[in-house]
Amino acid sequence: MSTPSNRTLNAVELQVNGVAYPVAIETSRNLSGVLRDEVGLTGTKEGCDDCECGACMVLLDGQPINSCSYLAVQAQGREITTIEGLADGDDLHPLQRNILAMGGVQCGFCTPGMLMSATALLERNPTPTEDEIKIGLSGNLCRCTGYAKILDSVAATAVEIS
Amino acid sequence: MTLTIATSLDDILAGLAQGARPIAGGTDLVVGSRQGKGSLPDTLIAIDRVAELNTIDVGADATRIGSGVTHARLMTDTTVVEQFTSIADASALVGSPATRNVGTLGGNVMNGSPAMDTGAPLVVLGAKAELASTSGTRTIGLDELWTGPGQTSANEDELCVALVIPNRPTASGSAYVRLEYRRAMEIAIVGAAASVEFDGDAIGAVNVALTAVAPTILEVTGLNGIVGSALDDATLAQVAEIASEQAAPISDLRASDKYRRHTIGVMARRAVDAAARRAAGEQIAVPVNRALGVGAVQ
Amino acid sequence: MAVTDMPEFIRADGPDKVTGTGRYTADMTLTGQLVAKFKYAEVTHAIITKLDVEAARAIPGVFAVLTAADVPDIRFTYGIADRTLFATDRVRFEGEIVAAVAAISDDVAQQALDAIVFEYDELPPIVDLEAAIADGAALVHPDVDSYVVTGDTPHSGNVATHSSIAMGNAEEAMSNAATVVTSRYVADASHATPIEPRAVVAQWEGERVTVYTSTQVPFDARNLVCEALELPANRVRIIAPHLGGGFGGKCGGHFEPHIAALARAAKRPVKLVFSRWEEFIAPDRRREGMIIDITTGVDADGKIVARTGNILLDNGAYLADSAFFPQAAAMHVAGPYVIPNVFIDSRLVYTNHQPSGSVRAPTAPQGCWAVESHTDEIAAAIGMDPLDFRRKNIVTTGSVGAVGQTYDEIGLDQCLELAAESAGWGNDLPDDEALGISVGWWPSFHSPAGAYAKMHGDGSIQVITGASECGTGSVMTLRMLAADELGVDQTDIELVYQDTGAAPAGPGSSGSMTLFNHGRAVERAARQIADQIKELAATELEANAADIVLADGKASVAGTPTVSVPIVELAGSSPDGEILGSATTEDIEWPEIKGSTCLGDQGFSSWMAPQFSCHVVRVKVDKDTGVSRVLEVHAAHDSGTIINPIAAHGQIEGGVTMGIGQALTEGTQYDDAGRQRNAGLLEYKLQTIADAPKITTQFVEIYTPNAGPRGAKGLAEAPNVATCGAVNNAISAAIGKRIYQLPMTAERVWAAMNDISLEEA
Repeated sequence: MSTPSNRTLNAVELQVNGVAYPVAIETSRNLSGVLRDEVGLTGTKEGCDDCECGACMVLLDGQPINSCSYLAVQAQGREITTIEGLADGDDLHPLQRNILAMGGVQCGFCTPGMLMSATALLERNPTPTEDEIKIGLSGNLCRCTGYAKILDSVAATAVEIS
Repeated sequence: MTLTIATSLDDILAGLAQGARPIAGGTDLVVGSRQGKGSLPDTLIAIDRVAELNTIDVGADATRIGSGVTHARLMTDTTVVEQFTSIADASALVGSPATRNVGTLGGNVMNGSPAMDTGAPLVVLGAKAELASTSGTRTIGLDELWTGPGQTSANEDELCVALVIPNRPTASGSAYVRLEYRRAMEIAIVGAAASVEFDGDAIGAVNVALTAVAPTILEVTGLNGIVGSALDDATLAQVAEIASEQAAPISDLRASDKYRRHTIGVMARRAVDAAARRAAGEQIAVPVNRALGVGAVQ
Repeated sequence: MAVTDMPEFIRADGPDKVTGTGRYTADMTLTGQLVAKFKYAEVTHAIITKLDVEAARAIPGVFAVLTAADVPDIRFTYGIADRTLFATDRVRFEGEIVAAVAAISDDVAQQALDAIVFEYDELPPIVDLEAAIADGAALVHPDVDSYVVTGDTPHSGNVATHSSIAMGNAEEAMSNAATVVTSRYVADASHATPIEPRAVVAQWEGERVTVYTSTQVPFDARNLVCEALELPANRVRIIAPHLGGGFGGKCGGHFEPHIAALARAAKRPVKLVFSRWEEFIAPDRRREGMIIDITTGVDADGKIVARTGNILLDNGAYLADSAFFPQAAAMHVAGPYVIPNVFIDSRLVYTNHQPSGSVRAPTAPQGCWAVESHTDEIAAAIGMDPLDFRRKNIVTTGSVGAVGQTYDEIGLDQCLELAAESAGWGNDLPDDEALGISVGWWPSFHSPAGAYAKMHGDGSIQVITGASECGTGSVMTLRMLAADELGVDQTDIELVYQDTGAAPAGPGSSGSMTLFNHGRAVERAARQIADQIKELAATELEANAADIVLADGKASVAGTPTVSVPIVELAGSSPDGEILGSATTEDIEWPEIKGSTCLGDQGFSSWMAPQFSCHVVRVKVDKDTGVSRVLEVHAAHDSGTIINPIAAHGQIEGGVTMGIGQALTEGTQYDDAGRQRNAGLLEYKLQTIADAPKITTQFVEIYTPNAGPRGAKGLAEAPNVATCGAVNNAISAAIGKRIYQLPMTAERVWAAMNDISLEEA
């Protein structure tokens, strides 16, 4: 069991939303924890610790990963995108705008992860069918909405941007 | 605890020789450590950036799929989807888009879980595992590789670098079907893979392997009796019966042994049916579960 | 109605939530904060023989280790004060807290837990409801008779509370009935499962503590801290940052006192963040398991003449907020039917399971599932269509229900027709598909709730409320009410909420009460400001205050809109420099009941502004495996006036989906000792978006007097009531066999189809 005195820290630079963050972390730290506690971006949520809820979803080189189960040191040299990197300055991403306007946000705890999965989905498939949206977002649990308005808002965004 | 990011296979093998453990996507390893199934190894070597492990090479007799190929790629790669469709079926059912994105074939196979989804397809396709270490490379059968739940015969310093699968004859097809309580985010409660080759209108060869009904992936024996028969309801019923008989399921919180024994027969029948239809040229989209609404109904 | 056709809903908390800048409790970091961890019993029933924390205290980096010896010796909980912060002499469920530590890091806190010496003698677990109430059964609380009892809480041995409804003469009417149907239904326990695991951060400044916590009811959490740590209310401030869902599971106080006590002992801020496993096993809010026996007699015309029921509810180890559950369950087993003769007995039973407590419409999904399945069994027994049978027997405007309550204008009959019509009741379906129907109901509750409204000198407005926004949008809706009173745009109003240091008390986000109670208070507080503005405007415009109209940010004289003054200017002209409003809810009269008696009356003997619903679901069953899937849900709801349609539809869709999960996959499994076997999201299966059916929602909008603002009733719990019953009726119609256990897992459906008995724990 490690104690404060025998920790081995790695000096790592993480590229998050286009900004380089130098952090000193133990190898065992997961990416979500490092993003939240070291980088200071708490938009990435932790809901289960075992890849079952999707609240911690971030993009790694554009692909969605569960950051709770990804070692932060493995993200070196890769581009990490979190919910904080989705808007263009003060302009919300169309997915953010639509999910809000269409009632797809309730408690909001799943929202960041949901939006990251949706972003990745529309990147690889700008014109998804309803079933493709469902599969694309199937790793993100939402307890509030019953998903109906989330589905609507992603579909509406696909129409809007294509 | 340390982690080295390897850039070549030699890096990895040298690391393993010194006692490091490999990590690719980390989904099993990191989640497992957090659930107290075992702490993270002291020395890790990240293998996910090694290009040599990420290739799919079609040879004259066999296709070699690198152990680092992700499920996301397996479910869409043209060769895999057309030739080794059951692997694509299985990969498409693993976890969520995120886990498919980082989870790899090698990780799935070497985890050694009887519930691994790609295991049964690899068995019916006759795949072998290529294991490498600094002292050389050997290729072994999967029955030799998997020795028990979570256990393999690979040495500590060996890495599974690829799965080697014989190329498919014409008029053949394969499929993987699993029981699902939900339409996504499931783990195999039971699953079955089948490979079928036609000889004219009759079954020329059939192989079935079962997921999560024995300590390791279970290859069904005694199907010779249906070789030469037409693929009809009676044949499929026989497949179901044989699979149910040979299964040695346990009861756990996901299902009782009784229910597993029954549903494994259903899955085996459906896998053979889907494989045969594919062998006959029917296009059934990957994964079969969603295309046909089996397991979790559409 | 498509969402794009509904009036715009501007969520004040929306931008925070979609950009990731919103702070939830786990996102809080205070300088110097320590990590809290709990030592759990992990055994379900045992006498503690040794608890030694000295070695843990000696570990460098450990700042505090607390046990029962370190906090006031207080037993708390409304109904029966059966609970302590830490285990004292014995433990009664696996998640019981034995000790708490605060340390500089996760690792060190874990070391401290590992160093605690905790020894015990195990006792046989009490987990079987029927055995627990048998004569001579061992008691979960041997000293229960020495505990303080509050309210009408009849209790005896392992029966924590007991309630019954009696009307007419059920025995005699039953013996004269043309047809009698008896059923037994068993519901497994389930969970609220918000996606946010709970978190608590506490910080002391002198003798005052501020606790940031993911509670749905900050004032209850404050009261718990005060009671358990013997602190006056003016020294405890609870702030709930954004709340990541609650569904009842986060009602009340839970771990706030533990963390406040740790922070005091450690002299540093302390933060607790639950893992998903802890979120499953530790809170005293779990949807209770139930055993429901129902017998119903009908006459030759198919009218219900009598019903008897016997209900056992698994309370688990401590009472939490469950004292009213037996009565609520009894009401559900009575159901929204006209039944002249009723006798229902309902008991809440102590066991060594995790305590039960509020989860979205407590007792209702299970109770409704049982009674609505039973209703279809009756219809089948007399050869009547399930829809026709309900048409004949449900309560309608002016009818007298099963507890002798006469209903005002209600829309259950309309709900029935709308949902059935929408689903195409009676149309042919493939062999493996069927429709199922269920009606449901849920009360609205009156509770005192306060609101302040403040117009600053610059004309900007604050509404300060004790309400909590657990996601539903109901707090967001409060400013719409205030805006309408004041004739301003809702975006001109800022909300202050979830802070006991700023707001007047109220029930927070519990019991579908936000709009119903806080809404009435907000309306009245805003009206007070409006009245003052009208006075100022009357002076300014030389008119009567009664003739002043507030609209579009202006005060004008009725009939002559050109004579006006901007409200902003009036605010500045107030002699006090600002304008204040302060109001509470007005009392609502409870409906009168006649000819009925209720033992153990916890306020459920009649139902105020009852909400009604009908769900018709279309289900497809894989007959080879029993896997069932809900393809469509047609929901019709009478929740009175709908004020915020987008949010209202969201409640239905979310509640229905939660109901489908409870119907098909969400059930807690226990080992023989009463420990949860599936305390994780892989094995406790919530519905995913891939499972989500098409949900069609219709509202029967009836202005309900003696109810919430503008005739609104509650809404958040109602959609979670009827779905499970409808799913069972659909599955049963598809397979020709009935399922008697909830959840109706694939395996149970398969077993029912094939007459196979499952040996289940």
